[in-house]
Amino acid sequence: MQVYLPIAEMSVDALLLLGMGFGVGWLSGMFGVGGGFLLTPLLILIGIPAPVAVASGANQTLGASVSGLIAQWRRGTVDPVMGGVLLAGGLAGSVAGVQLFALLRRAGQVDLAVSLFYVVVLGTVGALMVRESLRAILRRRRGGSGAPKYNEHTWLHGLPLKMRFRKSRLYISAIPPILVGFCIGVLSAIMGVGGGFMLVPAMIYLLGIPTAVVIGTSLFQVVFVAANVTLLQAWQVGSVDIVLTMMLLAGGVAGAQFGASMGAKLRGEETRALLGLLVLSVAIALLVDLVHTPSSLFAIGPIP
Amino acid sequence: MKAGLRRGRIAGVRVTQAHHAPPPQPGSPPARLQTTPIQDQQIRVQGPAGSWWGSGGKAPSLALFFLLAVTPARAQVDIARPTLAAQISTRIVEITTGFTGAEILVFGAAERLLGGEMGDQVLVTVRGPRSPQVVRRRVEFFGIWLNGPSARFLDVPGFYAIAGTRPVWEVLPEEARAEGMLGLDTLPLLARGSQEPAFRAALLELKQEDGRWQEHAVPVEVSGGRLFLTRIPLPATVPTGPYLVEVLLVRDRRVVAQQTLNLEVRRVGTAAWISTVARQAPLLYGVACIVLAALAGWLGSVLFRRS
Repeated sequence: MQVYLPIAEMSVDALLLLGMGFGVGWLSGMFGVGGGFLLTPLLILIGIPAPVAVASGANQTLGASVSGLIAQWRRGTVDPVMGGVLLAGGLAGSVAGVQLFALLRRAGQVDLAVSLFYVVVLGTVGALMVRESLRAILRRRRGGSGAPKYNEHTWLHGLPLKMRFRKSRLYISAIPPILVGFCIGVLSAIMGVGGGFMLVPAMIYLLGIPTAVVIGTSLFQVVFVAANVTLLQAWQVGSVDIVLTMMLLAGGVAGAQFGASMGAKLRGEETRALLGLLVLSVAIALLVDLVHTPSSLFAIGPIP
Repeated sequence: MKAGLRRGRIAGVRVTQAHHAPPPQPGSPPARLQTTPIQDQQIRVQGPAGSWWGSGGKAPSLALFFLLAVTPARAQVDIARPTLAAQISTRIVEITTGFTGAEILVFGAAERLLGGEMGDQVLVTVRGPRSPQVVRRRVEFFGIWLNGPSARFLDVPGFYAIAGTRPVWEVLPEEARAEGMLGLDTLPLLARGSQEPAFRAALLELKQEDGRWQEHAVPVEVSGGRLFLTRIPLPATVPTGPYLVEVLLVRDRRVVAQQTLNLEVRRVGTAAWISTVARQAPLLYGVACIVLAALAGWLGSVLFRRS
C-alpha cells in the first residue's frame, strides 16, 4: 500500500514506514533512547530527501519521547531546574543549528553535512559506549570493585555562575549544562535526533548527575528541543512532513512498548554494549556510503 | 521572426480556415504555456490542396469562372471536416494521499491513413510547468564524495513527454523540430554557472531515469488506419500545475494540423490541504505538527501499555 507524502512530494510504501517505525521503536524502547539516530539515516536510505528526513525525524522523536517524559515526571525523576538550564542552552543551540542547516541547504551540501555529522558523532559515541561497557563486563567477570567514581572535583567546578540543583544534589556552575545543551541542540537540528544517546553520557560523565534523574531530565530536554526544531524546520525550511511523522509514530509507539518490556530483562552493561554496537554500525554504514563511488556522478535538485 | 517562420510552414499547406478563429499563437510553445490561455480546441484545417483544382482543365476560362463562382461553397464543404480530432481521457489528474502515478490516454482520429511508411504520422507531446533546477557534479575530496561545481538551469520543464507513430527525428526536419521543441535534444536548456555540456547531459539522463522526461518511451498505436491512441505515464513524482498536450499531424515532413489540449495536475484532499497549510502558514503548521506528534505519542503509550 502506497502513501503519498505531501511535503516530500513522493509516495512510499506505508507498510515499510510502519515497519521501520516499529523496528526503531522496539530498539529505542529496549535501550531507552529516542531512536532518531537510527530513523533519520534509514529514511535517507529509502530515498526521502535529507531535509525532510531530518525535520520529520525530529518531529517523530518529539512524539516518541512524550509518553516517556510523562511517566518520568509522575515518578518524580525529572530535575526541572537542571532540565530548564539544559533547555536554555538547547533552544539556543537548535536555533543556531537550523540557521546552519538552511545555509548548508543553499550551498547544496546538506546531504554531505548530515552524513558527516552522523559518521563523526555516532562513530565517537558508539566507540566510547562499546569500550565502556566492555570494560564493565570484564570488570564484573573478574569480580573487581564497583563502578569507577565520576563526580571528582575537576576544573569544571571552578567556573562562576554556580547554581543549586536540588533534585540532582549538585552545586555547580550553570555554564557546563548550558554548553552541553547547546551542543545537543545544534546536533538535534542538523541530525534530526533528540540527542538522548549523547545527552545521557554527557550528563553522567561530564556533569555528574545521578543516574536516577538522568533519563527523566534528558527526556525533558529532548522533548522541548525536538519541538523547537520541528517548529523552526517547518517555519524556515518547510520540510516537516506530518504524514511521514504520523506513519512512523504509529509503528514506533507500539514497538517501543514491546521493546521496553524486553529491555527490562537485559543487563545494563550488555544493553549498553549492544546499543554501542548498533550506533557504531550505523556510523560505519554511512561512512561506506560517503566513500563509495556514487552510481551517478551528478545530482539534480530544485534551486532552494 | 520565429513566429512568422512557424506560421509560414504550417500555413504553407493552405490554411483555408481556422476553426474558431484564433490565428496561430505567436511565440514558441513553452512561452504560450505560461502567458496565454490556450483555446480548448485550436484546430487548424488544411484544405485538400489540389484535389479539385485540377479537375476543370479542359476549358480554362470557363473553368476559372466556374471555379471563382463556386469556391466559397466548395471550401465550406471541405473544411467542415477537420483532418485531426484528438481528446484526452482526463482534464485533471488528482494527486491524493494514495497517489502512485497515473496514465493519461491521448486518442483521436485523422482523415487520412495513419502510420506506416506512406501514411500520415501523429506526434503527441505533453509538457509540464517549468521550474529552475540545479545540477551538481559530485567530486571526490580526500576519499569522500561531495557536491562540487554546479550549473543552474533556470527554465526546465518539470515534465516532458513526446510520443509518435514514428520517432520525431524521422518524420520532421531539424529546423521544424527545433522550432516546435519536439524532442529532448531541442529543449533550450540554458545554464548559469558551469557551461560544460556534461551538466546538460546529466540533466537529460537523470530526468529520463525518474520518468519525468520521456522520449518515445511509449508508442502511439494506430488501429483501423484512422484511429490513434497513446498512454503517457505520469510518475508519482510528477510536478503539479498546468500541462499542455499537443497533438500534431505530420505529412510529407510538415506539420499539417495541430490540436492543443489542456491538462491540470493538482493535489486534492488531505495531501493538498497539508501542503497548502505548510506553505501558507508555516508557523501554524509547525505548531500543529508538534501538537499532533505529542498527542500521537501519548495516545500510543496509553493504547499499547503492557504493564
